[in-house]
Amino acid sequence: MNGIGWPLVELSSKLLERDEREAVLGDLLEAKESAWQGLLDVSGLVLRREAGFWKALRPWLAGFGVALPNSFLLMGVSLSVSCTYQRLINHKVYDVWWPTGHEGFSLLLCHTFLLIAWSWAGGYVVGSVSRRTLWVSAALSLLPSVICLGTFRLENLSRLCLFLFLLPAILGVRQGMRNARISVRSASLLALTITVLMISAWSSKALWIFNWALIWPAWYLAAAAWRSGQEGGTGSWPMDHATYTRVSLR
Amino acid sequence: MLGEFEYLLITAAAGLGENAYGAAIREEIEASTERRCSMGALYTTIDRLEAKGLLKTWMGEATPQRGGRAKRMVRVTAKGVHAAKDFYDAVMRVSRGASWVENRIGNAS
Repeated sequence: MNGIGWPLVELSSKLLERDEREAVLGDLLEAKESAWQGLLDVSGLVLRREAGFWKALRPWLAGFGVALPNSFLLMGVSLSVSCTYQRLINHKVYDVWWPTGHEGFSLLLCHTFLLIAWSWAGGYVVGSVSRRTLWVSAALSLLPSVICLGTFRLENLSRLCLFLFLLPAILGVRQGMRNARISVRSASLLALTITVLMISAWSSKALWIFNWALIWPAWYLAAAAWRSGQEGGTGSWPMDHATYTRVSLR
Repeated sequence: MLGEFEYLLITAAAGLGENAYGAAIREEIEASTERRCSMGALYTTIDRLEAKGLLKTWMGEATPQRGGRAKRMVRVTAKGVHAAKDFYDAVMRVSRGASWVENRIGNAS
């Protein structure tokens, strides 16, 4: 396997688990397969592995239950926060259809906190629930931005305003992927704070009805942390490996 | 009940004994069936059989001919032997009276 063939095979094998990569590349070398045949073999295995992940519910939940709808809704919230900020600080006036209007500084703060908390909790759920299909979830979350960037004409506003949710969401994904522990107390406090602030915004007519869908990742985290505690863990979620093994063996 | 490829894999691994690992099993299957065996089919089937408790795998030694890469060693469990025997018996039973089996007996005699 000379030329660019072997590096291509090695590159595609990066999508496999470490031990499997070792075994497969060793088998290809031992069988003296051509680079083209090796590439076909590795790609076929990668495809089968990727397809296998989708037999479970988790990747569907992460991709179509959180990443896609949340990124669409959070883009709207980002826009709303930006418009309100512009109106309050720079005294810009927007047409009546803009998602801004009567909010004062307290509601701006409330929306800003909610935007960060919704984004972080959603990102955390996506990162922890299905790490192996994260690239699909990331692609799905980019889909609404392609549509929005093509259709929205934002006078006085940078297009970057649509992506205020991105940074906290990425932080959430990173922490979710690293299995950063969340105690029942912290998860419950986050979910309760989000709920109280949403009720407050809703009673001030400053919350779109569909934004209620953004609440469930926070409550999911709280429920998962609580369940982990009930099943004999340390009361944090995701479970540590020892707890997971103990619970699985029951 | 095992699938056809699962049976081939278990039988090849059992025949190789201590030397059963990915490339050797693949070579054995290809030689017996005269058909190509893809890495994807091989390794996903090994995983499935291991999950069912019919095989046990572990990472073995690295050799120079493999570019210093480790082998994935395979051993058939007692449950795997039992499942393969059941499959074989079923194939033998269902094949009784089949025209090709009779023809073969006729040609042989």
